[in-house]
Amino acid sequence: MTLNQFGRNLVNMDIFTDAYRVTGRAAVGAGGIHAELSNPNSNFLDLHDAYISRIHEPGSIIASYNLAAFRKDNINFIVLTDRRDGVPVGTQHGRSIFTRGRPVPAYVTVPSFEIKGELIYEGKASPNAILTQALGRFLLIFSATASASLHPDISYSGDLILIHKERVGILCLEKPR
Amino acid sequence: MANIFVIDDDAQLLQMVGLMLKRGGHTATLINNPFEGLEKLKEAKPDLLILDVMMPGMSGHDFTRHVRDKEDLAYLPILILTARAQDVDRVTALKSGADDYMSKPVTSHELMERIDSLLSSKQPVVKPGREGIILSVFSMRGGVGRTTLAVNLATALRRLTREEVCLVDFSPSGGQAAMHLRIQPKVSWDDLAAAERLDPAMLKDYLLLHQSGLRLLAAPMLPQLATKPSGEFTTSILKMLRERVAFTVLDLPPMINPAVRASLLASDIVFHIVTPEVVSVQVEVQATRALIRFGLNLQQKIHVLNQITPEIQLPASAVEKGLGTRLPFQFGFDEHQSRALAQGVPLAITTTQSPIPTVSLNMAEAIWQKIVKN
Repeated sequence: MTLNQFGRNLVNMDIFTDAYRVTGRAAVGAGGIHAELSNPNSNFLDLHDAYISRIHEPGSIIASYNLAAFRKDNINFIVLTDRRDGVPVGTQHGRSIFTRGRPVPAYVTVPSFEIKGELIYEGKASPNAILTQALGRFLLIFSATASASLHPDISYSGDLILIHKERVGILCLEKPR
Repeated sequence: MANIFVIDDDAQLLQMVGLMLKRGGHTATLINNPFEGLEKLKEAKPDLLILDVMMPGMSGHDFTRHVRDKEDLAYLPILILTARAQDVDRVTALKSGADDYMSKPVTSHELMERIDSLLSSKQPVVKPGREGIILSVFSMRGGVGRTTLAVNLATALRRLTREEVCLVDFSPSGGQAAMHLRIQPKVSWDDLAAAERLDPAMLKDYLLLHQSGLRLLAAPMLPQLATKPSGEFTTSILKMLRERVAFTVLDLPPMINPAVRASLLASDIVFHIVTPEVVSVQVEVQATRALIRFGLNLQQKIHVLNQITPEIQLPASAVEKGLGTRLPFQFGFDEHQSRALAQGVPLAITTTQSPIPTVSLNMAEAIWQKIVKN
């Protein structure tokens, strides 16, 4: 993580749209990328040093640009290697609103991908309640792996994956541990 | 102390890695542009190269391919250091010809460990005037995973030692080794055998280079007569390889033809592959008798157990009892192998922690230790 000229953090991330994987850095504040995605004043997210790959050839870089803008609506999900880049996780004295609760094994599908990991939810978890009540436009799946539906050998793992709620096809939950 | 080139377009990271290297006692040349990096490599050859993947104008993968295409830099150790931290990125980096991969951020301790490991593996195993080693992978029974183990052993030796390693597929019935490496062979030992004369300079043109640095003398794609190649040809080829290549791994077909006979006689170690099945053990016992009858009572014979299905028919102890020998190397069933074959990426060049890469590297390490001790 590095600082940009306005003192905000530049965090590394992989952003997935329907057909592309874009690796780059986005400027975030104390609320992490989740706060940027939930910001109602902008429908766009800027990504610095963007390196673009096709979904079916995710290792090959086909183009690179200093700056790329994404329509937030068109982002399927974002993979982060560190959950602290995504949301405030709290302090040693208490967890934040995003990390308070019990881990619930979850399975989510979005176009072209299926994602497995853990939701952290306080209260009785039901798929319906989570999709309607969880904070922000993006669902948080911790310790998650996204596998390409047509190429299961292509997968991406992250400490946190943020999934666009409106792109969710199926959300399944197991009983909380 | 090593001379290390660091190529990264991120000035802050470049400075940080440079500082770590200096503290580790190395000399760092910091380059913030891949094109400048290629120019600098024409002027000086470093001991190691640390490379970012995401650089404007040329990715680290393309840079690695450029480096590997140059004869004098083909064996330069390359460490990829990138923010692209997924498995697929690791595989892409290794496939492009890099030796190791680390994802950012990295600690000074981790970086130094990797650098030391890469620099130590660079020490030449075969000293000038010393001959190379020939290793055969053999079984009289087909379908025991012989080619898989030969490909992975060769890859592991290359990865561990950074020496010249050549894999020879002596199968007359349409080779599989090229398929494991996703190489489409335009030439094979059959073309070499058909050539008017056989000299070392010519041999080089028939050794196909895999991105990992491994070389392959491929089998012809079309099945040949089982008597091919001839014993005389095989002996000549192996003599040339022994003089020029540190490790030659032979993937032998499940038969005793002139090439197999010549190969077994020339081998320093023969790995006999058995599967944990009654039939496999029976075939191996009979094969040993047949080999003795053909005057091939080899001293340097090592049995290797390879479990190719999830179910075990015989425990390893029963196989050892049936063969009357111990099994120093035992491959458990590896669920990743079918995917590796489909992708043309041997598991031994990945960081997968599964039986095939783990035991292959153990075998390579044991061979390497044996040579170093001798």
